[in-house]
Amino acid sequence: MHTRFKALAGALLCAGLITPAHANPELEALRAEIAQMKRQYEARLKELEERLKAAEGQAAVPPAAGATPQAGADRLGALSSGSAFNPQISVIFDGVYYRDNKRGEGPHLYEHLDGINHSHGHAHAHGIERGFNLRSTELVFAATVDPWFDAQLMLTVDAHGGVELEQAYFDTRSLPAGLKLRGGKFLSGIGYLNDKHPHEWDFVDQNLPYRTLLGEHGLKDTGLQLTWRPKTGRLYTLLGVETLQGQDQPYASAGLTVPAVRADGLPTAAGNGGTLDGQKAGPRLWTAFAKLAPSLGDHHALQLGAWGGWASQHQEVHDHSDENPGVACGLPGGKCLHALQGKSRLWGLNAVYKFDAAGAYGAGDLALMAEYLHEVKDLKIAFHERPTVPVGAKRRFTQDGFYVQGVYGLAPRWQLGLRYDVTGLTNRVDGPAGRLRSWDDSSRWTLALTHHFSEFSRLRLQASRARLAVDGQRERPNELWIQYQHSLGAHGAHKF
Amino acid sequence: MMGRLLVALLLGLCASLAWALEVVATTASMGMLVRTVGGPQVRVTVLAPPDRDPHQLQAKPSMMRALRDADLLVAVGAELEAGWLPAALDGAANPRLLPGRIGYFEAAAQVPLIDAGQPADRARGDVHPAGNPHVHLDPVRMSTIARALAERLARLEPARAAEYRARAEAFARTVQARLPAWRAQVAGSAGAVLYHKDGVYLLERLGLPLLGTLEPIPGVPPTARHLQGLIERLQGRKGVVLYHAYQPAQGPQRVAEALGWPVQVVPMEPPADADADGYLRLIDQWVAALALAR
Repeated sequence: MHTRFKALAGALLCAGLITPAHANPELEALRAEIAQMKRQYEARLKELEERLKAAEGQAAVPPAAGATPQAGADRLGALSSGSAFNPQISVIFDGVYYRDNKRGEGPHLYEHLDGINHSHGHAHAHGIERGFNLRSTELVFAATVDPWFDAQLMLTVDAHGGVELEQAYFDTRSLPAGLKLRGGKFLSGIGYLNDKHPHEWDFVDQNLPYRTLLGEHGLKDTGLQLTWRPKTGRLYTLLGVETLQGQDQPYASAGLTVPAVRADGLPTAAGNGGTLDGQKAGPRLWTAFAKLAPSLGDHHALQLGAWGGWASQHQEVHDHSDENPGVACGLPGGKCLHALQGKSRLWGLNAVYKFDAAGAYGAGDLALMAEYLHEVKDLKIAFHERPTVPVGAKRRFTQDGFYVQGVYGLAPRWQLGLRYDVTGLTNRVDGPAGRLRSWDDSSRWTLALTHHFSEFSRLRLQASRARLAVDGQRERPNELWIQYQHSLGAHGAHKF
Repeated sequence: MMGRLLVALLLGLCASLAWALEVVATTASMGMLVRTVGGPQVRVTVLAPPDRDPHQLQAKPSMMRALRDADLLVAVGAELEAGWLPAALDGAANPRLLPGRIGYFEAAAQVPLIDAGQPADRARGDVHPAGNPHVHLDPVRMSTIARALAERLARLEPARAAEYRARAEAFARTVQARLPAWRAQVAGSAGAVLYHKDGVYLLERLGLPLLGTLEPIPGVPPTARHLQGLIERLQGRKGVVLYHAYQPAQGPQRVAEALGWPVQVVPMEPPADADADGYLRLIDQWVAALALAR
C-alpha cells in the first residue's frame, strides 16, 4: 500500500513540476492537497495497522517514550446499540391471570371504596376478568431532540386496541446549576411511587392510598416541572415545583356544569338556585416536592421526601339518583343531586431504604419503602336540589392513607415482596357545625413472589387479603394474580 | 487553639483549590486510570464498588450527588452501565457529562472490541451489540485508553497536557515491560472456563483459549444441563475454572470437581482506591490463576 501511495504522490508531483513556473499558487495548492492526502492516508494506514494488530492478538508496540500520541485518538461519545435507532423504542407487555373469592367482583370493589373521592358508577373499570387478561401494553419512544432537549412519548394500548397518551414531554439537557425543566404531560415528581410506571412496581396493582387519593395512575397532568439539585455537600438534594393544568384529577377538576337531567333521567330540580362557577384559567394545580438522600456507603441508600399540592379550583357533581331511580329529590326515598366547588390541598411524606447485599442477581438485596398521603378538599355547596341547603355551605372532605412495603432478594433472580396498605384512617366530611359523615377504612395485606428470568422478563405470583369498606359494607376479597411482564427493545435504566 | 483551627481551615481550603478536576469513574479500574493519568491534581469518585457486578447495579442518589458537580465522567461504556448510569446522569442534571460532550469519556470507544457487531438478539442473552465491554482486563488496551484519557484531560486542562501525556506513556511502558513475564508465566497453560465472558480480553492478550463459560448465554445463570454439556465437552482436557466473589460458587465448583481442574476466585476489579500498582497486581492474580491450567 505504501508503494501505491508513493507512486500516486510521485505522479502528482511530476505533474506539478511540469507546470509553468507562473502557476505558483496552483502549485502551492496542489502541494497542500498532496500533503493533506498524505496525512489522511497515513492516519488511515495507522488505524488499519492497529486493527490488524489487535485482531492478531498481538501486543501493540508503544510509541517511543515521550512521543505525543496521535491527535484525535481520544474519541467522544458512547457506543450503544440503542442509538442505532432514533428514536429509541421500547415495548412492555403485561398479562395477568386473575382469580378471587368474590366471583370476579374483586376489581369492581376496589373501584368503589368508601371515601371522599368515591365514584358514582362512572368509574372506568379496568375490566379485569377471572382468568386471562392482557393489561395495557406500554409503548415508549425516547430521543434527544437537539443539544438542548430530550423528549419522550409513552402510549398505552389496551386489550381492545384503545390507545391512550400516557406521557409526552420534553426535558432540558443543558440548563446550568443543576436545573432541569420538563414540559408536557407527565407523571408528577411527588412522592416516591408516583412517577414509576406499572412495570416498575414490585406488585401487580396500585396501592390503596394512591388509588383512592390520587387515582389509579397517580398524579399525571399537563404543565411544567422545574427541578433543582443544589450543592449540599455529601447530601443529594432534589427540589421541584410543578405548575399543572389541574384537569380530571379527583381533587382538581374544573369546567363542570350542573346537569339539566339527572342520571336517572328526571330533570334536575331548580333546588337552591345555585350554580357552578366557570372554569378558571390554568394552571390550577401547583405542587412542590423535596427529596433528600445522604450518602451511606456502598451497601445502603436512603431517601426521604415530602411534598405538597394545591388546587385553586375544584368542582364536583354528586348525583346519587341512580340509587333510587325515578324518585325526585324531596319525595320519600328520593335522592338529590348536588354540586360543590372550592379548593383542595394534599401533602405526603415518603421514605425509601435500599440495601445492596452484593449478591448474585439481586440475592440478599432489600428495599423498604413507606409513604403517607393526606388530602383535604375545602368545598362549598354550589348547587343543591334541596332548596333548604344554602349556597355556600361549607363542606370539608378529609382522607389519608399509607403503605409500607418491603422486597427481599430470596435467591438469585427471586424476590419476595410484602405490602400493607390502608386508606381512610381519616375519612370524613365536615360541615360548618361539625362532622356530617364518615366512612370506614380499607386495608390489605399483599404477598408477591417474583422470578426474573432475565433483565427483560419476569413472572409474578401475588396473593392478597383485603378488608374493604364499600357502600358502608365490609367486604373481604381474597385475590390471586399471576403476572408476566416482558420488555422489548431499548429498555432504559430504572430510576432510584 | 483558634489559630491552629484557622491554619487547618486554610490548609483545607488550599487543598480543595489544588484539585483542578473533579472526575467520576464508573468502575475501580476506570478510577485507577484517572488516578494514574491525572495524578494528584485530579480527584476521583468511583461509583461501582469493586465487589459488585457492574451489570446489576442500581442508580443511587449518592451517584447523582457525585455526578452533579463532576467535570469529567470516565465510563467503561459499550452499554456495560446501561442499567444504571443513564438514570444516575438524569438525576444529576449535569450537562457537561452527557454522552457526546467533552465531559463524557468512554473507555470502550477508544479501542477495538471483541464480539462487536453481533446481532442485537436477546435470545442470545444480555448481549452488547457494540461489543464485549470488559476491556479493562487487557492491560495493553488499557494503555491505549490511558493515552486517550490523557488527551481528554489535556483538552479539559491544556496547562497540564504534558504531565498527563507523560503519565499515560509511563503506564504504557510499565505494562509493556510486564507483558513478557506474564506471557512466560502462562506459557503452556491450557486456558480457562469463565463464569461470564469477561476475562476474554486478557485471555486473548496472553494467547490463551476461552474454553467455555458457565453462563449458557451472557447474563443468564448456569443451568444444570449447560454445565453437564460443558463437563462432557471438556472431559479429559486441562484448564482452570475462574469466577468472581459475587457469582454463585456452586456452578464453578461443580465443573472444576467433575473435570479435576483447579478453581479460583479472582477479582473483577482492583480495589476502589487502586493506583497502577493495584491494577497490575490484579493482572498478576489472573495470570497466576491462569498458570494453574497445566
